[in-house]
Amino acid sequence: MLNRRQVLQDAALFSLASTIPVFMKSAAAGEKSNDRILVVIQLSGGNDGLNTIVPWKNEGYAANRRELRLKEESLIRIDDETAFHPAMGRMAELMQDGRLAIVQGVGYPNPNRSHDASMAIWHTAKTEVDEHRSNGWLGQALDTFDPQSRGPKGVSVSDEVMPAALRSHHTMIASIDSLQDFQVKSFPMQKASSSVNEPPSSPLAEFMKRTTLDAYATASQIDSLLSRSASKQVSALSKLEGPLARRLKIVADLIRADFGPRVYYTQQSGYDTHSSQLNTHSQLLGSLSNGLKAFLDDMEAAGYADRIAVLCFSEFGRQVAENASAGTDHGTAGPVFLAGKPFRSGLHGQPVDLNQLDQNAPCHTVDFRSIYVEILRDWLQVKPHEELRPFEGKLALFQG
Amino acid sequence: MNWSVWKPSPKQPWDTKRVKHLLRRSGFSPDWKTIQAGLGDGVGGTIDQLLDFSRQDESSQQFESLAKTIGDAAVGADSADRLRAWWVFRMIMTPKPLEERLTLLWHNHFATSNHKVNSVAAMYEQNLLIRTHCLGKFPDLLRSVVKSPAMLIWLDASTNRKEHPNENLGRELMELFTLGEGNYTEKDVTEASRSLTGWTVTAQKFHLEPAYHDPGQKTVLGTTRSFSGDGLLDFLVKQPATARRIAWRLCQMFFGEGVVDEPAMKELSDGLLARDLDLKWAVETILRSELFFSDANIRSRIASPVEYVIGAIRCLEMNQPPPSTFFLAAQLRHLGQDLFHPPSVFGWPEGRAWIDTRSVLARSQFADQLVEGQFYQTKRPIDVSKLLKQYGLAHSTKRSQAFYADLIGNGEESTSLAKEEANAKGEDAMPRQIIAEIISSVDNQII
Repeated sequence: MLNRRQVLQDAALFSLASTIPVFMKSAAAGEKSNDRILVVIQLSGGNDGLNTIVPWKNEGYAANRRELRLKEESLIRIDDETAFHPAMGRMAELMQDGRLAIVQGVGYPNPNRSHDASMAIWHTAKTEVDEHRSNGWLGQALDTFDPQSRGPKGVSVSDEVMPAALRSHHTMIASIDSLQDFQVKSFPMQKASSSVNEPPSSPLAEFMKRTTLDAYATASQIDSLLSRSASKQVSALSKLEGPLARRLKIVADLIRADFGPRVYYTQQSGYDTHSSQLNTHSQLLGSLSNGLKAFLDDMEAAGYADRIAVLCFSEFGRQVAENASAGTDHGTAGPVFLAGKPFRSGLHGQPVDLNQLDQNAPCHTVDFRSIYVEILRDWLQVKPHEELRPFEGKLALFQG
Repeated sequence: MNWSVWKPSPKQPWDTKRVKHLLRRSGFSPDWKTIQAGLGDGVGGTIDQLLDFSRQDESSQQFESLAKTIGDAAVGADSADRLRAWWVFRMIMTPKPLEERLTLLWHNHFATSNHKVNSVAAMYEQNLLIRTHCLGKFPDLLRSVVKSPAMLIWLDASTNRKEHPNENLGRELMELFTLGEGNYTEKDVTEASRSLTGWTVTAQKFHLEPAYHDPGQKTVLGTTRSFSGDGLLDFLVKQPATARRIAWRLCQMFFGEGVVDEPAMKELSDGLLARDLDLKWAVETILRSELFFSDANIRSRIASPVEYVIGAIRCLEMNQPPPSTFFLAAQLRHLGQDLFHPPSVFGWPEGRAWIDTRSVLARSQFADQLVEGQFYQTKRPIDVSKLLKQYGLAHSTKRSQAFYADLIGNGEESTSLAKEEANAKGEDAMPRQIIAEIISSVDNQII
């Protein structure tokens, strides 16, 4: 019985030029892509921005946070006003060596405090509820890329339903939660090869055979990638545990394999901390911080530092005053993290103003759409959609 | 040819191939004894049984009573996972597969997602309504589903008031549920939406709030009346475009790509219009027709995830005892058909859209896990010889291959594949992985 690799090397198979997926062609020709890649980490549930980037000197902080106040000596200072949560040491390191930008006070007008509605606003970049069935801000961007190239242009790495941000008109979006899903146990290449050797009985059979061949070829690529990464790749991510690190490792492995997509989207959930917040929140931020640093280090070691930009956002921040169960309730604006070499490192925007609150939550000082515009225009090099144009401003998030 | 009644002939006999074709298209892949029964009952007798939804034998009653217990419990627990599992239970156990397939067809036509509705009770109620009317008159189906609380929430009916009409329900009613795109103007949408003002949900029931209703004159498709919501529905179901869309929808389920030509579609649609959109007449006409049994229609459609998963369970008789319906519902979701959660108002796109690189692999993995018995709470690998013993068939390697290729697959291609594999492995007993191989083969995705 032929094994997968033998079948892929089979000359008869390669003679079926139209059925060979693009990545195989480029691999055969020894080409390497130089495309820029965006990685999104969605912090689901509403991250408590106030205990993430802490206004430690502000009297309002101590006044509003009694149970939840982080000890001053444990904080990692950024400047005389702001500090990182103690679990975010790795992100502080990223900022020190110029690989982390933080935009403070990010939100939008008339904030919606429902998870679904606010998430839909961030996903579609549209604030009206009846527009939330439209395509996502990233899906729309991917739709403008070359429709001729085959294979997924966006990948959701998660066990969740595909995020609406990736919803597109015609672009293929893959959803992966484990590379093992793409390892097929039985005799997959036998299946594909015996199919292509038979003359197709109908256009439908032809389509089915071609897609099957693509699928097994993709699986074969991921399979060989896995054997390579197991033997040779020394990975900072592989030393970490937890779902976020696991998913970031999938992203890193696929990028290193030159898999092709321009956007990878993953999620870290659990930020809806209505009660006993301290411990949970600390673990989440620790995982995020460690995972992000390890991911960027791995990418840098593999020579991808200049091609990777990471966006971390949450659907809303939380209220300033803690509630009665040592937690916080849904709020409004919060910090956004932009990680990677391409960004202008450091703090952007204004520190949270605790004297001017909107129903116990910070008012936004930066509209999230002005961040989107720069990512689309300056990073993915896509013309921002019409509705985003008014948000073209001067954040200058990327290096000149 | 077209809609005249098909009669077996020496060239087109009533054989295993056509029994499987009929039972797969109208339900799910049949098990061995059902195929044998079909051969014995003849084509007419088999279709009579398929269409008889009023059967009240003991097994039907037991099934309905158990299904009701499971469904009511899902509502009681307000659990969407249990609701999904309930429908999977119905599909793998029902003695009336056509009823479940038609319910799924109309669930897709009136695509409503619990992601927004967020009420297990309302989704359950809507599903029961669809099942009640799935083979009745379309006007009854339309009226009950459009006025179900799930639909009213889904399409924001409550925010549609005479001062500021919301066009969501009015638009989808015309575009998706009745006329179809291109058969109305934007002005018609506005006027239809005015007719639907006042429809709301109160205490989880449909309620017409007179204060919100616009009683004035509206002009829809050139007809001016003081349309009420009900009046609008009555008007829309009498339009030829609606009959046409319903005919198209039924053909989407029963026919493969390019099988039904324009004259055939028109004939079916005219027949529906003349019969008050009688779905039973249409389904019976289709199932008995020459067109349905024509060679062009056999093996010309991509199996949906539901057909693929439920078909495998039923034809291998893995429903006695049933595997975890939660696991199977999760598989359906993984393969892209998350019951009660269609992706948008447009429903699942069907056909080739089911197939992409990930779904091909996911289908292959499903087959691998199925034969290893991983969908049972406690792993229970398939016993290859069990069915052969059960039916008193010799269970040599060669006989096993032929049996499974014949039962699951589509004939010769699968047999040769199985043979090749067994030879390559040089084993005495047929490995159960060959069953996975046949299930996930390219051929078996086209049914």
